[in-house]
Amino acid sequence: MAEMKLLLEHSNDPEYATLKGYLAKGGYTGLGKALKMERQAVIDSVKASGLRGRGGAGFPAWIKWNGIEKEITKPHYMICNADEGEPGTFKDKELMENTPFLVIEGMTIGGYATQSKVGYIYIRGEFVDACRAMRKAIDEAYANGYLGKNILGSGVDFDLYIHTGAGSYECGEESALMSSLMGERGMPRLKFPHAPLPTVAGLWDCPTIINNVETYSCVPFILDRGGEWYATLGASTKNSRGTKIFSVSGHVNKPGNYEVEFGTTLMELLDLAGGMKGGMLKACVPGGSSVPIINAADCERAIIGYEEMAEVKSMVGSGGCMFLNEHTCIVSFIWRTAQFYANESCGKCTPCREGTKWMFQILDRIVRGKGQPGDAELLVDITKQIDGRSFCGLGDAAAWPVAGAIRVFPEEFEYFIKNGRSMVDSAESRAMAPKWAQPAYS
Amino acid sequence: MSETVAIGTPRPRAPRPEELDLKFSESAVAELDALKTHYPDLKSCILPGLWIAQREYGGWLPPEAIAEVAFRLNRSFAEVEGVATFYTMYNTAHKPGRHMIEVCTCLSCHVCGAYRIVDYLEEKLGVKLGETTPDGMFTIHEVECLDACDRAPVLQIGDQYVGPVTSEMVDKILDDLRKVETPSAVQLSDAVVKVHLRDGDK
Ligand SMILES: Cc1cc2nc3c(=O)[nH]c(=O)nc-3n(C[C@H](O)[C@H](O)[C@H](O)COP(=O)(O)O)c2cc1C
Ligand code: SF4
Ligand code: FES
Repeated sequence: MAEMKLLLEHSNDPEYATLKGYLAKGGYTGLGKALKMERQAVIDSVKASGLRGRGGAGFPAWIKWNGIEKEITKPHYMICNADEGEPGTFKDKELMENTPFLVIEGMTIGGYATQSKVGYIYIRGEFVDACRAMRKAIDEAYANGYLGKNILGSGVDFDLYIHTGAGSYECGEESALMSSLMGERGMPRLKFPHAPLPTVAGLWDCPTIINNVETYSCVPFILDRGGEWYATLGASTKNSRGTKIFSVSGHVNKPGNYEVEFGTTLMELLDLAGGMKGGMLKACVPGGSSVPIINAADCERAIIGYEEMAEVKSMVGSGGCMFLNEHTCIVSFIWRTAQFYANESCGKCTPCREGTKWMFQILDRIVRGKGQPGDAELLVDITKQIDGRSFCGLGDAAAWPVAGAIRVFPEEFEYFIKNGRSMVDSAESRAMAPKWAQPAYS
Repeated sequence: MSETVAIGTPRPRAPRPEELDLKFSESAVAELDALKTHYPDLKSCILPGLWIAQREYGGWLPPEAIAEVAFRLNRSFAEVEGVATFYTMYNTAHKPGRHMIEVCTCLSCHVCGAYRIVDYLEEKLGVKLGETTPDGMFTIHEVECLDACDRAPVLQIGDQYVGPVTSEMVDKILDDLRKVETPSAVQLSDAVVKVHLRDGDK
């Protein structure tokens, strides 16, 4: 299977980011059809499509939409999670910069289906270009009656605001994002079943829907061409439907965003990205830094799909696919991953706040050539103390890559700890290591 | 998370109400008023309010800036300070140099040689990560993934991403930046504030 461009079909066309160009390419037919349907029929259409959340967890979108109260007692809100912070992922950025109207139309349809009159797009503060493109598109949509009061004469109102973050990965977690939107530190809140679902009490304690940029961008196509049509894409997989955008980076010839149908193999994705650069394939992190790394043999048999990826003990995640060549020192790669999570842990709960720092300290002494016997086992032990015991998903996401790498490449960790230097010994691997770690690479 | 301040460093004292010296320009006040209409709750304006303050106070948030945001939004100083120190893009610890160069050393950039760029910058400017050159021109920082890994290794300067960068490019970037008067943090904060405001607000 080759590339299957649905969302990204017109992403190279600057006209598509203008209302005129968007309409010329069939834009807003989905909203037009949705507005003529019953609200429940719109949700049923999303159900038929089998669309699952593209933010990382793969949760069926229709369940959220259906879960919102049908009687209006409080205002309903719609949030677009555009905080994209997962290392390796840059698809939401491209969607916002090049196809902003897909996001707006998707949110407007969602707003109609869930009776929300107000939506917020929470964009990470660094993405100024994406914010500008969204700003321009939103203003244009307002000026032409596609947002605001009485959209297209249907009597439906929908306002859309941009809210930016200010530098925090944790704000991508949905309840932390809501805290941040409400003007607090970006820390997560108690979750179901200990607290009501966001669809019951989210933003300002009102019913709230939160979805990823890519999830919303799929909605116009589903409404335009029908949920059943969308469900034919990816039909070869167990339960993944439609297309998925992968942000391919690392040692490949043509890094970038590639949209493929579920059921495509990981090697086909690598081919799309121009194949490996600077050496043979050694490992791949298929879905963003939070998912376990897989080795070359597993890459050969990996099929892109939520359930299919589990067979190689990894995940689709957010689609940040990093390919690593033979000169990559896995220990150093995981050391940097651990540093990321130690830096980004919000500090609310002990397993993650302390555990991520410990993992980083232990990996740090290993890459400085000062590893101690038993360090690998100690790391695995810490991952078990974090995984499933932390307050939000960041703790789990910090534990998985470390545990996964030690499971897949145990010999590299053992060698580094025993000999105080990396098993990967080449000019290329030295060129990647920080200066203070150089002795361990020569 | 926030920059760590060494234990024992005294926290600057919050200005008392009678010491408040409000610095927001008229247009900044108008921007804040427009933002207030976007949310059902004033508290939500803390983050955008801090962005405005970071621009108005020359690229960082001294205690006076935080006090002004707290005053204008009717919140306590402690609350707003607590929010400001959580986020890495608010410069609360100290005033950065005129230009902030943020080097991404996260995963994809790391495997594409970001640490060589760090070495080069450190050598060329004679300062370490997190430090400012003695002439106050440049501050270099390490940042986590900027989500532009297809252009690894990536730098962020103001609202611009640059990548993939090489040592030769760094030379040119530094030379060009010396000619730019507007501090990068001010330029970035201004850009962020602008994207919040709708056509109708301006
Ligand atoms: C630590 C952490 C970071 C996250 N970051 C993001 C993010 O940057 N973007 C995103 O869309 N979802 C992110 N998520 C997932 C969200 O919590 C949430 O599941 C998602 O926004 C739901 O949207 P979806 O159903 O459309 O995927 C993150 C989750 C965790 C635990
Ligand atoms: S798991 Fe980490 S990020 Fe999540 S609440 Fe605990 S400390 Fe914060
Ligand atoms: S790792 Fe540097 S931009 Fe993603």
